[in-house]
Amino acid sequence: MVDRFTTIRAVVALGFLCTLGSFSARAQVLNSGASTIALKANLPESVSLSLSANAVNFALSPGSAANPGSTSITAATSWTLRPGRIAVSVYAFFSSSASALTDGAGDNIPSSSFQISDNGGAFTALTNTVPFGGANAGLQLASVFVLFGNLQGTRRDTMNFNLNLSALPNLPAGTYTGTLTIQVQVI
Amino acid sequence: MNHRNIAFLRIVSLAVLIVGTTSLASAQALNSGAQPIALNATLAESLTVNLSANAVNFTLAAGTAANPGSTNITATTAWVLKPGRTQVVVDAYFASAAAALTDGAGDNIPSSAFYISDNAGASAPLVNTVAFGAANAGLQLASVAIIAGNRNANRTDQMAFNINLTGGTLPQLPANTYTGTLNIQAQATP
Repeated sequence: MVDRFTTIRAVVALGFLCTLGSFSARAQVLNSGASTIALKANLPESVSLSLSANAVNFALSPGSAANPGSTSITAATSWTLRPGRIAVSVYAFFSSSASALTDGAGDNIPSSSFQISDNGGAFTALTNTVPFGGANAGLQLASVFVLFGNLQGTRRDTMNFNLNLSALPNLPAGTYTGTLTIQVQVI
Repeated sequence: MNHRNIAFLRIVSLAVLIVGTTSLASAQALNSGAQPIALNATLAESLTVNLSANAVNFTLAAGTAANPGSTNITATTAWVLKPGRTQVVVDAYFASAAAALTDGAGDNIPSSAFYISDNAGASAPLVNTVAFGAANAGLQLASVAIIAGNRNANRTDQMAFNINLTGGTLPQLPANTYTGTLNIQAQATP
């Protein structure tokens, strides 16, 4: 009788220990150390410019104020900028104000005779000093104030061209060539 | 430190901040690529002569030196020339020296009997060989030296006409109607 009672107590005690051991195992869950992965995504700043065409011809009439270009050209400007930028500006310029176009024989058409109408605005001569090109040989076509809402943006400038020869009544006949450059600057 | 000094320091600090920010932005300007547009402008050479009228009548008196035309005619010559041209001349001429005007029946008035006074100058007969027309049937009205300053220019020649019927057999010129064509033409050289 005593032995039987002792056996029962031993079984109960063992069961209790097993249950207790089970709870103890749960309380001791084993975690590894946290391994970090550094993430770095770089969206670089960019500003790009593309032109709808790269050549304009003019049939000149001597002494005439109106000598329009054969075609208009659209400059498409796109930008992706960091916060802190304040303006995107589009410029047209020549490398020399005295000889925007030349016949190669010493006869020149100055930048002051070359005019651009931007997006249907008034024709304006290239007589300003801009960040690019020669002194007094440029024109700022546009300036876009940059806010948080347009750190990524685009704009289009459709340019019409004219050569005003009213200040050049003695320009000799010939073929005059030159290069107009369009460029964008972000500050 | 009173309020005035504090305000002053704030203004100075703000100015320094603005200047610093501006300098930093300038130093970090971002530029696009430069996109070229080729320009080609052609000013074509031209040389034109326009006349104020195209007909002159003469009432002839047999054997007389003075048979003036009914009207003066002004020739306006305009040119736009390339570098390298050195001269523009204006010529008057007939197609024949022997028969500047004719009655169509074998009776002719030679070019030597036809005179032009250019811009009120002395009258001169058309007896020279010029760039156009027949030999000994022309007169150079004008010659303009071309320099850098007049490659794009114009001139006017006011012509007064006369037929002198005193030379050779012309005093015996029969009565009739004599017609002819005087040409005015300009040439740029070389």
